Amino acid sequence: MFRFLLWRLAQFPLILLIIYVITFLLAWVAPGTPFEQTDRKLNPVALEQLKQQFHAEHWYTFLAYYPVKMVGGDLGPSLVYKGWSVNDILFTSLPISVTLGLFAMAIALIAGSFVGTLAAVRRGGAFDYASLFAALVGISLPGFVVAGVLIVLFSDKLHWLPSAGWGTFRQMVLPAVALSLMPLAYIARLTRASMIDVLNADYVRTARAKGLAREAVIWRHAFRNAFLPVFSFLGPAAAATLTGSFVVEKVFNINGLGQHFVNSVLNRDQTLILGTVMVYSLFLLTFNLLVDIGYAFIDPRIDVTAKAM
Amino acid sequence: MLRLSLIPLGLLVLLAGAMFWSGGAVERRADFTFINRGENKTLDLGVMSWMQDIRLAYQLWEGLYTLDPKTLEPIPGVADRIELSADKTVYTFHIRPTARWSDGKPLTSGDFIFGWRRMLEQPGEYTYLFDYLKGARNYEDAYGKWKEALAAWDKAKRQGSKPIAPDFGQVGVEAPDRLTLRVTLEHPVAYFPSLCAYIPFFPQYEPCMKAFAQLDSTGTYIASYDQSFTRPPNLVSNGPYALKEWSFKRRVRLTASPHYWNAGAVQSRVIDQIYADDALAQFRMYEGGGVDWLADVDGDMAADLLDKGRKDLHLIPAFGTYFYDFNCNPTLPNGVKNPFADARVRRAFSMAIDKRPIVENVTRTGEPIATTYIPRGVFADYVSPPGIAYQPQEAARLLAEAGYRGGAGFPRVRILFNNDFTQHGEVAQVIRRQWQQTLGVVLDLEGVEIKVFGDRLHQHEFDVCRGSWYGDYDDPSTFTDVYKSTSDNNNPAWKNTAYDELLERAAVEPDQHKRLKILADAENLMLEDAPIVPLFQYVGRYLYRDNVQGIPLDARQMIMMQSVKVDRR
Repeated sequence: MFRFLLWRLAQFPLILLIIYVITFLLAWVAPGTPFEQTDRKLNPVALEQLKQQFHAEHWYTFLAYYPVKMVGGDLGPSLVYKGWSVNDILFTSLPISVTLGLFAMAIALIAGSFVGTLAAVRRGGAFDYASLFAALVGISLPGFVVAGVLIVLFSDKLHWLPSAGWGTFRQMVLPAVALSLMPLAYIARLTRASMIDVLNADYVRTARAKGLAREAVIWRHAFRNAFLPVFSFLGPAAAATLTGSFVVEKVFNINGLGQHFVNSVLNRDQTLILGTVMVYSLFLLTFNLLVDIGYAFIDPRIDVTAKAM
Repeated sequence: MLRLSLIPLGLLVLLAGAMFWSGGAVERRADFTFINRGENKTLDLGVMSWMQDIRLAYQLWEGLYTLDPKTLEPIPGVADRIELSADKTVYTFHIRPTARWSDGKPLTSGDFIFGWRRMLEQPGEYTYLFDYLKGARNYEDAYGKWKEALAAWDKAKRQGSKPIAPDFGQVGVEAPDRLTLRVTLEHPVAYFPSLCAYIPFFPQYEPCMKAFAQLDSTGTYIASYDQSFTRPPNLVSNGPYALKEWSFKRRVRLTASPHYWNAGAVQSRVIDQIYADDALAQFRMYEGGGVDWLADVDGDMAADLLDKGRKDLHLIPAFGTYFYDFNCNPTLPNGVKNPFADARVRRAFSMAIDKRPIVENVTRTGEPIATTYIPRGVFADYVSPPGIAYQPQEAARLLAEAGYRGGAGFPRVRILFNNDFTQHGEVAQVIRRQWQQTLGVVLDLEGVEIKVFGDRLHQHEFDVCRGSWYGDYDDPSTFTDVYKSTSDNNNPAWKNTAYDELLERAAVEPDQHKRLKILADAENLMLEDAPIVPLFQYVGRYLYRDNVQGIPLDARQMIMMQSVKVDRR
């Protein structure tokens, strides 16, 4: 296990480096380099200083030196938001996006597996069909529609929750729910499918036959096995919630990382693009690693090390 | 099963940690929460010029004069005794011994000299206001030349003797002692108290800026300051409030400064400025009760609220004009010969605009149509010139005369605007259509983020762009000075010596009636030469409920938040 962890961690720099180079090249070949943009001029003195600081005399020197700065924890100044460093921007917005993402994931995981299990148990019943319908809606409706409906319902009509801003727990609920619906729907469908498989397995029948209560069989014996495919979905789900938060952040006026991720590309803000992409990548790599570890943790039969070697 | 339940549990623990990290959920609600007009661009007094920044500056700093919280007239601020010489050119300010910076250190006359001197040595948007000080203009020019000479000397491998900096002693501001400031003016300036109550004349605190100084290449003088000094906890100010937090695009938090000389009178102790770039989100935050004052309601929304008869919508004819700037440089930013360098083209474009559809269909909150740059009727005794009226035939004729008959041969130009308010785009569309129909020219629209917009405006990197100006103090010169050749806010880069001369004559004219007449002549000259085309007079649109007290409904749209009180019961 320890070896596996070490091996995976050793891969991190390599993966990050590849992501860095690809992002860098994509951003650099796009029209207008960050330091000499076609439609915007920086003050020449500041430009020289900036170039020196970032070894940006040539694209390859910038490519080579920026990671050194980055590892040292300095992502440099934003090239568009004067007076703000990329560190400042990330420091304000990253915690928000992470909180929002984790909140959505928690809702999706807990509610999704619960709904999925119930649907499987009451297969063919009203709840099953209702959940199928809800899942279909959850998967097909884009985030901004869901967000709009939630706002109209819970904020405008019922006045239960505030519909914009960030800071209090109440403000976090609606955006987290809006962001959670898609992974929730997937998780519910995944749980249902694998639960139906498991419920037909012999050991479940045996457990019932020896007189265990239905609930005990479902939640203690069946769910544990049915949950495995769901768990492996958490990695991609995390990626989707983190990077997909842009729309929800916009609708609920949350100043998270998602909007900087998109705006930095639109503004051709090279340092902010690289900063957000690298931070996102690091987060997703870490989260995937956690999921893999968790996988081995809930099912000791699975030998994660086998994959890696 | 136990293992399995650890997964959601772990997720929840992570979530709780993240919530704590993102700084929410636990904080005390501010006494007064508001959404300002757009994102803050800077809190450096030396370069400040946007309304949202100026609004914050009035809470953070206090000048020799300050504004009366109710009437916004200038009243003594950190100076408690002010003497004026018989010829009205020498002011002697006695600074209150109780005046303190937010770090507890006493405020001195030296802090004013430091700030004012910086305005001359590192010229900013409002440096031209210092021209009234004796010798200031000369010093500024000499200092600028010295900087150039120094750079040349450096480039020439430092051959010969190093150029010597001009003497600041020639400028009419001195400190006989730590609490006395003596200011000598070139000539009597009736509205000097108004100027002293304005941001460029506020004191600046060198100790908090020193560490951020950026020297020139020879290491001789301070070329600029790294803007990090404006971030908490670095920034030290002398007003009712201190800057507690400034999170990027999220929040600015001000807390009452315990060292403010009049701290006892400060009503709201904690003030939050929340950032929201989307008009609908702003409104929803207000409707949810999380925001007490919405300082700039989106025009469309205000028009709808007006129709619904909402009592919490407050409309104020404002001290500002919405107009379009023509780039007057010889070439456009893309290097093409600039057709707008020809005054006939500018006049043609001005005549081709029918402003009625703009105020009736786009802005819709009763904005008066403007043919003048200075809003009509805001200055007593000032008689506005007529300005250019809507004359489509004459417009087409003028354009043909300038060599672009029916728009033929006219380069494809772009209208630049900031996209944080939807109306800017809508106004641009109306004008584009009118110009296309009347003049036959083809235009593109370009909406950019406000910060990018501000930079490009300032560096004249546009063809045609939206512009606006709000008066800062009680005199028409607050408008006319903007288009002096030397003004840093002269975005169209319009240079007219006759105009400059008129302003100079007005500045030294002791008779107020004659002075206003000269200023009106200057405005007339500018309107006829058309570096800008005025569209309408702004209407201020506030939303606040009747539990909020102390927001003045004044054309200048300033606010002194120490007098604002929100009843939360």
